[in-house]
Amino acid sequence: MTAADPGSEPRPAVPTASAAPAQPASPDQPAAPARYHRGRRLTGRVLLYLGLAGFAAFLLLPFFWMVSSSLKANNEVFTIPVKWIPEVFHWENYVDIWTVQISAAASNMGSWLKNTMILSVVVTLLQLFTGSFAAYGFSRIRFPGRDTLFLAYIATIAVPWQAYMIPQYKLMSQVHLTDTLWSIIILQAFGAFGVFLMKQFYETIPEELSESARLDGLSEYGIYWRIMLPLSGPAIASLALLTFVRTWNDFLGPKLYLRSPQNYTIQVGLKLFQADPMGSSLYGLMFAGSVLSVLPVAVIFLLGQRYFVEGVATSGLKG
Amino acid sequence: MKKTRFGLLAALALATALSLTACGSGDTGDTTDTGSDEPAGPVTLTMSGWSFQTTPEFQVLVDAFEADNSDVKIELKEYDANDYETLMLADIASGTATDIITIKQAKFTNQWVNQGALADISSVVSALPNNVSGAASYTVNGVNYGVPYRQDSWVLFYNKDLFDKAGIAYPDGSWTWDDYAAQAKALTQALSADGVKGAYEHSWQSTLQGFANAQSPGADVTNGADYTYLKPYYERVLDLQQSGAQETYGNITTNKLTYQGQFGKQSAAMMAMGSWYVATLIAQQASGDADSFAWGMAPAPQYDSSTTGTSKTPITFGDPTGLGLNPKLEGDKLAAAQRFLQFAASEEAGVALAQIGILSSVAADSVTQAYFAQAGIATDDLSQFAISTHDTRPENPPHAKIAAIQTALGEAHSAIMSESTPVDDALADATAKIKDELA
Amino acid sequence: MTTATTTARPVRRRSRLRRRNTLLGLSFIAPNFIGFAVITLVPILILFYVAFTQWYAVGTPKWTGLANFRKLFLHDSTFIDALINTLYYTAAHLPLTLAASLGLAVLLNRKMRGMAFFRTAAFFPYVTSIVAIALVWNLMFSPDTGPINQLLRFIGLSDPPGWTVSSTWAMPAVIIVGTWREMGYYMLLFLAGLQTIPAQLYEAAQVDGASAWSRFWHITLPGLRPTTFFITVMLTIESMKVFDLVFVMTAGGPGTSTLVISQLIWRRAFEGEGEFGYASAIALVLFVICLGFTLVQFVINRRSEK
Repeated sequence: MTAADPGSEPRPAVPTASAAPAQPASPDQPAAPARYHRGRRLTGRVLLYLGLAGFAAFLLLPFFWMVSSSLKANNEVFTIPVKWIPEVFHWENYVDIWTVQISAAASNMGSWLKNTMILSVVVTLLQLFTGSFAAYGFSRIRFPGRDTLFLAYIATIAVPWQAYMIPQYKLMSQVHLTDTLWSIIILQAFGAFGVFLMKQFYETIPEELSESARLDGLSEYGIYWRIMLPLSGPAIASLALLTFVRTWNDFLGPKLYLRSPQNYTIQVGLKLFQADPMGSSLYGLMFAGSVLSVLPVAVIFLLGQRYFVEGVATSGLKG
Repeated sequence: MKKTRFGLLAALALATALSLTACGSGDTGDTTDTGSDEPAGPVTLTMSGWSFQTTPEFQVLVDAFEADNSDVKIELKEYDANDYETLMLADIASGTATDIITIKQAKFTNQWVNQGALADISSVVSALPNNVSGAASYTVNGVNYGVPYRQDSWVLFYNKDLFDKAGIAYPDGSWTWDDYAAQAKALTQALSADGVKGAYEHSWQSTLQGFANAQSPGADVTNGADYTYLKPYYERVLDLQQSGAQETYGNITTNKLTYQGQFGKQSAAMMAMGSWYVATLIAQQASGDADSFAWGMAPAPQYDSSTTGTSKTPITFGDPTGLGLNPKLEGDKLAAAQRFLQFAASEEAGVALAQIGILSSVAADSVTQAYFAQAGIATDDLSQFAISTHDTRPENPPHAKIAAIQTALGEAHSAIMSESTPVDDALADATAKIKDELA
Repeated sequence: MTTATTTARPVRRRSRLRRRNTLLGLSFIAPNFIGFAVITLVPILILFYVAFTQWYAVGTPKWTGLANFRKLFLHDSTFIDALINTLYYTAAHLPLTLAASLGLAVLLNRKMRGMAFFRTAAFFPYVTSIVAIALVWNLMFSPDTGPINQLLRFIGLSDPPGWTVSSTWAMPAVIIVGTWREMGYYMLLFLAGLQTIPAQLYEAAQVDGASAWSRFWHITLPGLRPTTFFITVMLTIESMKVFDLVFVMTAGGPGTSTLVISQLIWRRAFEGEGEFGYASAIALVLFVICLGFTLVQFVINRRSEK
């Protein structure tokens, strides 16, 4: 995947100082709050923490309910009145979820997690690459029809997927991609969302940077790779995270395309525990699986979120 | 910056490697033998079904058939029960539907006929014995598209322990809906110390409209002109939920109550429900998901006393489950598939299904006997009567716009039951919408 | 704009430059566009054609001209209900989410102990399974036993709303949950946008003694303009085609009080007679409305850019 790196230009290892004359030297704390009024700030801080803690509880409540339900027996999940704490803790749900056979073909939580991980990683990387690459074309190179093309891109987001998913499925079926992980990769990797997002962030990067890079003999591909990408760290990070989560949680797409249980993603697999209205649903197990499926995403977020608060200049120019 | 770029490169390389292995394994996993290239081997057919782990009926049918027909092999293709029709549609559209298509919900027959997904099997259906019911549900413009192998119907489940505790006599088959309402109130009062409600009526539109459509004199859900016959049924139920004799619609939907939990955990003393619940209740009592208590079945309460009592035939409702054929079938395959359909609606298949708690579309003593031989089932006379004697009207009679009609009536149901719209207004609104659809 | 040497030169040179630029631009766009065109654009163009036909997803569509649209606007009161509901949802959800996510981003964009946790918490609703969200919020909104109404009764409201089981209050309930769920998502984008604002602008303002509000108004907001534009466009479109939240929370009810356009499309195509022609017509109407909104937003953005 070196398409972004056409290697004919003489390239310095690190952008020269002249490549970034307009970019100010960055302080260690961008967007830092006021540093005076220390006494008042302490009370302010305590109040802020208290407020945030209450707010966090409000945000995490459904997750708490999920955890609680995952420790209940199947017919005790939905009751009147609501039981927030299980009477008997069914810890075995967390053991059974790894071994229980819910479909006829051999597949389980482990294989679903593996498939979901593969899809999320590949889709995210493809979306990042093609999105940021195309965004450069839309934001920095002027050619006739550009704006119309861009608007068409954005407008297609407005067509609900369920309206064209059957024609799309027929298409994929003709090239025999249904029931392979490829189908989901192709389906998810080329959206307009990433293009639009990256284009908006490129517009905050001063044009003078590219100009001086051009004078230094860098090609457009070189500018994309050496100037624009490094300077759009937070945008890349947020696009990566959002794409990852969306692919991770996607239901209808994988449901429609991945038919063999060994190809299932985690969301499709867990749905098997919910029977149709005639049968009995294994809700305890289903929520145990749901809790487990959230954890990888939470860890990735926790690790990755520092990239959102590191100033662009910091991450970009401190080689 | 150097570090960032190196990281990105490494990640891309990793991704490429991962995707290659992923798709590699996907390809190798896809080596199911089609069996078609075996010379003079058995005819292989594919058949759709859902949730095999919890729905053994398909395997039972196939095993019983293959035992007598060694020249035919039927491969089952599993779908998810909740999205069965959506997935089938995708397969129909892309020309990859199975040879034998299971019709899970009768109201989708029209759609699949429109899509040319079902073959005319009138010759098979007309050769079926007289004791098979439900084929009318798959008839479009006089042509038969499905053979029913399963026929559920709605009965009244009741908890004998709770009735004993309340000191109220068990249902005896003589109840009209007014009797049911009176008993629900009496039970609620007698069991108020335990917080048990007399009745549970699930939030589905069929729990009310299914009965009203089947039982009300002259009612026809497809006529599109007048639905005021639903009104007395709604008024009775609204009174029950306002008086606390049954859980309110609001509480059921906002707390996502399950009927299996409400009856199985003894929160309600009686409940009208489809006969499929028998197998679930037995299984859940065995697994501990439901409490252990004595229960029984009674015929569904009736519109008036003209159809009550064990000397009459009570009217209830229910849709069959059926099998259709892919129009692409021909030759040996077609003949084999037709034989399978005939078998599915035979007494032999009915007995095999009854043994796993599935009610066949075939009415026969041997089927009923096998059904009541299940461990854990209620075997009293009234339960046997409720299961074996009834006039079951289709919930979704064949009609080109049945799905649209039911959607409009479903909106009326939620509007009325949530008590946000008066009965008359909601029914008038639904009638207007249905008229537009039928125009 | 691209090359530094676009000063007065012979016309031939300029047209060659233009062609070079076009090729260069397309080379950037191609990797995404080719995938996009094959997998999304082609089916959407098919959909636009199908909107003028009667089609059951199989076989050749039967051309019916404007019949679908005539029925939509003249003989389908459910569609009108759904259109009004969708506009209602968008009109309320858009400003609420915009304000909440921007507020959260500004609040959490600081280097303090524990902020990582709160940022994660804010994003959690978006990660949590939508089924669990619908269940828990329905429990919270339960008219008799739910904590929200218990609180409202406690503070003296004798007749609190019926929320998801009331045709008046179901939509506000859905809007509240929609905002609650998505504010963390858009907060993330605002956070990314905040990092592009040079820190010394704030430092200079502080030296000048500007108040926090004035800093927000004169530095943060203008600095976020490209991000805000992106989020506004995306939020409008995503609100107009809201589907799964409504589907799992209220399924469009009670009655049609929360039925939205996307659900109507789903119903017509997958839960009824398989009327893909009609469903496509509804999708086309939704598309045209969204395109209109987006165009207006682009024009406004272009104007404020200058």
